[in-house]
Amino acid sequence: MNSKEYRLNRLETTKLVGKIFDKHWAELREAKQKGEKVAWCSGPTVFFPQSQGIKSHFMAGYSAYCAGRGAAEQVLEAAEAAGELSETCSYHRLHTGMVHAVLTGYRVKEEVILPIPDLFIIGRLCPEMSHYAEALFRRLGKKVKVVGVDLPPPRKVEDLEALGEFVENQIREVLIPAIEELTGKEFDYEALRGKWDLLKKIAEVRNKCWEFFKLKPTPWTLWDYGVGMGFLFYAIKPEGLEYWNKVYEELKERAKNNVPAILPDGEKYRLYWDNWIPWAFLGKTIRLLVKYGAVPIFGRYPYEFFPHPEYINLSKDPIKTWVDLFYVKAKQAAIMMPEFAYETIAKHVEEYRIDGIIFFSTRTCRMWNAGQREILNRIEREYGIPGVIIEADMVDSRFFNEAQIELRLQTLFEMIDARRKK
Amino acid sequence: MSSITIGKIVQLVEDPYQTVAEFKKHSNKKVIGCFPMEVPEELIHAAGFYPIVIWVGNEPVTIGHSYTMYYNCAIVRTFIDDIVRGRLRFMDGIVVARQCLPTHELAFVVERNAKLPYLEYLYLPALYPSKNAFPSNATRNFTIYEFKRLKNSIEKFSGKKIDENNLIESIKIYNENRKLLRDIYELRRKNPQSIRAWEMVSLIWSSMIIPKEEHSEMLKQVLEELKGREVLVGDRLKVILVGCMCHVPRSDILRIIEDLGMVVVDDDIYVGSRYIYNDVKLNGDPIISLVERYFSRIPPTLTKGDWEIDWGKYIVDMVKKVKADGVITLMPKFCPPHLCNYPDFKRTLIENNIPEVLIEMEHEAVTLETVRLKLQAFTESLRRR
Repeated sequence: MNSKEYRLNRLETTKLVGKIFDKHWAELREAKQKGEKVAWCSGPTVFFPQSQGIKSHFMAGYSAYCAGRGAAEQVLEAAEAAGELSETCSYHRLHTGMVHAVLTGYRVKEEVILPIPDLFIIGRLCPEMSHYAEALFRRLGKKVKVVGVDLPPPRKVEDLEALGEFVENQIREVLIPAIEELTGKEFDYEALRGKWDLLKKIAEVRNKCWEFFKLKPTPWTLWDYGVGMGFLFYAIKPEGLEYWNKVYEELKERAKNNVPAILPDGEKYRLYWDNWIPWAFLGKTIRLLVKYGAVPIFGRYPYEFFPHPEYINLSKDPIKTWVDLFYVKAKQAAIMMPEFAYETIAKHVEEYRIDGIIFFSTRTCRMWNAGQREILNRIEREYGIPGVIIEADMVDSRFFNEAQIELRLQTLFEMIDARRKK
Repeated sequence: MSSITIGKIVQLVEDPYQTVAEFKKHSNKKVIGCFPMEVPEELIHAAGFYPIVIWVGNEPVTIGHSYTMYYNCAIVRTFIDDIVRGRLRFMDGIVVARQCLPTHELAFVVERNAKLPYLEYLYLPALYPSKNAFPSNATRNFTIYEFKRLKNSIEKFSGKKIDENNLIESIKIYNENRKLLRDIYELRRKNPQSIRAWEMVSLIWSSMIIPKEEHSEMLKQVLEELKGREVLVGDRLKVILVGCMCHVPRSDILRIIEDLGMVVVDDDIYVGSRYIYNDVKLNGDPIISLVERYFSRIPPTLTKGDWEIDWGKYIVDMVKKVKADGVITLMPKFCPPHLCNYPDFKRTLIENNIPEVLIEMEHEAVTLETVRLKLQAFTESLRRR
């Protein structure tokens, strides 16, 4: 039993996010009416069409937005009406459902409607990032062009160079010409460089913010971080830098005045959150956690968002920079793979003084799940830090069982308590 | 003519573990397991090893679930279970090819827990159409690089170089085996009642687990035995089996299909016609020829990412060619590529007025009565047409 009543104390700055992202997606929605080109992108390919002035959707970002706006269930229903099966990747289904809704007039919330694109850009970190575009290519009568870049996630450090070269060659041979063809002009390498410049600045501020996760009590939660992650990926824009500077200022203020993220006096349990953030269930999940004084502090997926801005070398070929970030130097394509996950998590649990780990296991997405059981066993054995697996989904509520999740959380907290009594 | 050889072959796949262990002893070669569906076995054969294709285990997953999620497909879960339980001690190594995320996890878990003398992971690229080439030059070059890396890695493990002539010889052995199996397929298309569905699957599956040379000798006898044979009687509905991906179709489901008065006239499954569809060319650099086989666009392969090829249309053509009455889709539970591709496939069949039924194959808990009911209703609807 808790002797205290814990309450969440969200960062004030996070309240600014909603409007900015609503505007971002509205601009995409309205682009076609304004005669602008639209691309749908999966994986880390979105930077390329954006640099050419193409309004670009990003698969995971849109899914998070759609879920955050409470529209996931509607769109998933549309997908089912289109014949999708419920075990299929829910991000895939959100997109096939959206196209079905647009084509048939199936009712979904207006703010999440996407325009049918002029180009699908596949960045295949996982096969589903490809399958959705393959399926939609056929569903749209083979009229919308598709271009694919295969992004094999690495298994070994020694594979990174060859994989990086393979990906770079595809970007140059296939992706850039497709973008040039769509826009009728040469690719704007300087705009891509400019994007890296802005990203570097945002990521540097964000990294300074990460330092505050090390404080006890923590002045912010992983959820506070999560809502602004889009500025570090698909919405790299000046408003993002402004936003992250404000977050930093608020965190400094909170730290100075010892204002915790969990009231009245800080967290009881500091948790690591492995895997996707549960976009459709942010409120439900955080309420479950906070009830016990638990707070998600850091995680492997949120860490994926350009943790190493020092590798952005603005004097370098901007495509090479992409390769450095995802393969050769920062190895972002590797972070989700089990071979690299253990080291990442082990480093984080020490740095952020973690008490326990939640391995969020997503039923319809196997990207971050891979090896979780093995990693859990190893972290428990080698660091004495307990963990539990929580099974749910990123957006499909049929796989989210609150009672079962709470039971698992209680078990985790008991394990942490027992460890503390030793 | 009796069916002695077919009977023997069916027995070989009843206990594949025992079969491989015995053939290993007999051949005195190291066994290398190849994850379905695209590992170039010929390379492994040319290195003097005994390549086999990994199968779905025949027991419920037990401690394997401490290493992998239950919502991974059966082949990944059962292989992990088998390996951590020590059921695959006869295996000296494995080659895993990248085609879906669970294969990545499989390689990770095996590496950490099985300590096999040899493990190689082949980064097989998705084959995306590009404006000027199929696949792109980048993909072509990388695939060649990967096949050569596999060759070097096997050579390192065996301690000797793979001679080009040896590789060509291995390719010939594999091509001959594929040709013999294709001949049997052709016989079935002409006289589908001459061979039972499980027998046909057994012929292919056995080819994956016993040395090809010996298998081909058996197939020559099978071809003789099949002439004029008729095992299924009566006016039967002709169906095509599709899907199944890396998995062996369940024998109990195939039996139900036949019990209900249907006969399998053709298939588009891996432990079926897909395994033997394309030969490797014998002219030129044999590594390049193996790569070219991987680049084959037909039969459509759901894991390859070639959006220009329409799987549904391919099956529509197959239905027309063999005058099938309907299609039975066997879908392994929790197979992302199959799940993602199914709705389009289904839509194409509906548009072409081809009846189709989906049967989900679970490893631990298939309720056969439900399968029977579904197939019975399907049969009745076919008969009404």
